Amino acid sequence: MNNQLTAPSGGRGRFMRSLMKNKWLYLMILPGLLYIIIYKYIPMYGLIISFQNYKPYQGIMGSEWVGFEHFERLFQSPDFWMIFSNTIILFALQLVIYFPIPIILALMLNELRSEGYKRTIQTLVYLPHFMSWVIVVSISFVIFTVDGGIVNSVLEMLGFQKINFLLQAEWFRPMYILQVIWREAGWGTIIFLAAIAAVDPQLYEAAKMDGAGRIRQMISITLPAIRSVIVVLLILKIGDVLELGFEHVYLLLNSANRHVAEIFDTYVYVSGIQQGQLSYSTAVGFFKGFVGLVLVIGANKLAKKYGEDGIY
Amino acid sequence: MKRRAAIGMFMTLTLLASACGNSNGNDSTGGSNNAGTGGTEGKAAPAKISIMTPLHMAETPDPKIEQLIEEKLNVDLDIQWIPASTFQDRMNAASATGSLTDIVNITITGANREAIRDGQFWDIASYIDQYENLKKLKPEVLNNTKVDGNLYALYQGRPLSRQGMIYRQDWAEKLGLSAPQTLDELYAMIEKFTNEDPDGNGQKDTLGLADRGDLASGAFKTVASWNGTPNEWGLLEGKLAPAFLFPSYKETMNFFKKLRENGYINSDFPVTSKTDQQNMISNGKAGVYIGCMCDVQQLYTGLSQVQPDAKLDVHNQVKGSSGEFTVFSGPGFNHPYLFPKSAIKSEEELKQVLAFMDGLMSPEIANLLYWGIEGEHYTVTGGKAVPVSDQAKIDRDVKPYNTIEVGDPATNGRLEGSYDYAPMQKAQDLFADNDSYVVSDPTLTLDSDTFTKHKDRLAQIITDATYNYMLGSLDEAGFDKEVERWKSEGGAQMIEEFNAAYEQSK
Repeated sequence: MNNQLTAPSGGRGRFMRSLMKNKWLYLMILPGLLYIIIYKYIPMYGLIISFQNYKPYQGIMGSEWVGFEHFERLFQSPDFWMIFSNTIILFALQLVIYFPIPIILALMLNELRSEGYKRTIQTLVYLPHFMSWVIVVSISFVIFTVDGGIVNSVLEMLGFQKINFLLQAEWFRPMYILQVIWREAGWGTIIFLAAIAAVDPQLYEAAKMDGAGRIRQMISITLPAIRSVIVVLLILKIGDVLELGFEHVYLLLNSANRHVAEIFDTYVYVSGIQQGQLSYSTAVGFFKGFVGLVLVIGANKLAKKYGEDGIY
Repeated sequence: MKRRAAIGMFMTLTLLASACGNSNGNDSTGGSNNAGTGGTEGKAAPAKISIMTPLHMAETPDPKIEQLIEEKLNVDLDIQWIPASTFQDRMNAASATGSLTDIVNITITGANREAIRDGQFWDIASYIDQYENLKKLKPEVLNNTKVDGNLYALYQGRPLSRQGMIYRQDWAEKLGLSAPQTLDELYAMIEKFTNEDPDGNGQKDTLGLADRGDLASGAFKTVASWNGTPNEWGLLEGKLAPAFLFPSYKETMNFFKKLRENGYINSDFPVTSKTDQQNMISNGKAGVYIGCMCDVQQLYTGLSQVQPDAKLDVHNQVKGSSGEFTVFSGPGFNHPYLFPKSAIKSEEELKQVLAFMDGLMSPEIANLLYWGIEGEHYTVTGGKAVPVSDQAKIDRDVKPYNTIEVGDPATNGRLEGSYDYAPMQKAQDLFADNDSYVVSDPTLTLDSDTFTKHKDRLAQIITDATYNYMLGSLDEAGFDKEVERWKSEGGAQMIEEFNAAYEQSK
């Protein structure tokens, strides 16, 4: 009895002491914590509506409960596997094609001798990150359109058939991944460059003494040194699996490519906001989040198994 | 300036913008407002009224007209301008989060219809007779807005059909063509505009038809109705059936498919925006535009800057294979205005809002909203309004306010227009000419539960199939398969429900 009473108060005392001691650190973490609570945790309350037939005017308290009806509808929907596989394919493309590019780019930038030249290139490649998807997609419309687009004009000049990049379903994925690379690759190099900068220069000197060339140094020193950064970013990337960029895909989506371009995000938007099926689209969003969670936990486990730190 | 900033802020924060609607009837603000109007003693504190409306321009308008309305109707007005392209989405979001304004213009279908039935909006039938102007609204149009026989909405009038074509008259003259009387002649015109170098620069760089990714307001539905396709729904063997089950729908798809295969239409038309489409005409690249004939003024303003000698003309009567001219009509109104109970709490407040709507319908305000300020934006000649030639000024100061007009010239006493630019004047006459040939949507006043709940989801199947057919990626069998899918996912039920309602209404 006595023990039980003192133990928590002792714990609280220690906690208060450590709080006082590190008060500035806690103060610094506060805005981030508040952000997470207000914008990430509190809205989760709304997930309740995925188990209801939610009517805005009846409110969350007043709406009828329907259990898993919306989830059943999702899994039975003929669209479900189409959306699921579209999402997974785009995700795989991001992982396989896009993910290594910033690393390669960072390694290449690292090898540049002239500091000024390196900075200039670095700035130029990450500038597109600051353009919104609307602009990126509009620019590619202008470039790839059939009537008067530069790409098709060149194709025609060289004697090839014109290609309707915007309206042919098979071109959706290449266009998508190209735009992702163009906009994000440069920005993605920043973290890798920082990790590379932290590598002890003595290692390179020693390697040079041993007669290692630049390629050898890159493979044997730089890459292993940034391996844990790569793994952490990979796990984070997997957590984003289903964040394939709503805006981006939505802008590219049209009648002709819907069967390859509809992903969970766009489906949630169209069925929820445009067609007013609020509960159903919440159920879809819920499912998407759940898949993301499973993937992050899985990837983290895998990383730990191979001796990496993971993210938690 | 401050107001401008405030409006800008509201545009980004629409979802949170219920504050004003909810603080209606809050007397504590009266004092300061009275001080603002200075000298108008004895006048009641201005009523606070909020309204959401679509904005068809890139920028919010100059607040001058808004201030004049506030002064004249003694209100404190809060207009939330929402970019037209996302208006529908934003309204859905606002109604989902309960942040509607006092006056909203939303569609009366889908989820909104359920909300109307649930009593979320004021039934105004018993009130409007008490207002001098509102009672002038046309009963037959009000009837089209009714839900279960109850009246919830006021409307903004529209000519029944403004559909027609705008084409390069100078090109037609050069090639010896006259305005097309039939679809075949139209096809020939589009073909020649592409192939026979109408701009005479020795290069094959022109395009027959410029279209955009919008089956209804773009060229498709107009051409379909010229060809005798019913307006959304029609009678097939005595029963109501959706337009795409009619052979003429497929003929229309073939018309566009052929145009595209031959390169007579912009090949990216399913993803072309309205701006890009209009630019093709304004740049002198394309020769035919099918849609609202009202766009001729705007198209010419752009075109005349590039090619001062270019001439445009409007035309409406193009006959289909049946040899008769028909064109689809709208419901006679643009958006209906509804009054949500979430924003208007009491009958007293409702009366205030209705009094404001009544005020908007007075001839003075109606002219202000449509034509602008007399002497500055238009002059009156022979009882008609003549807009000044500075179109940019009109676009900046007046045009956006068009969207909050109540009624139409016949009911609100707004001046008819007289346009210096002859084709624009001709377009007005052709709107009237269309009236005798219009085909209306028979399901407009009918009810179907499936339609209310799944209209958009089902419509998307057909929209996608229609585009894919015109693009050549679906053949006829494939299109029929999609129609079957439409039927199995709820379409068949919709057909039954509409037919049941139709039998009842007879």
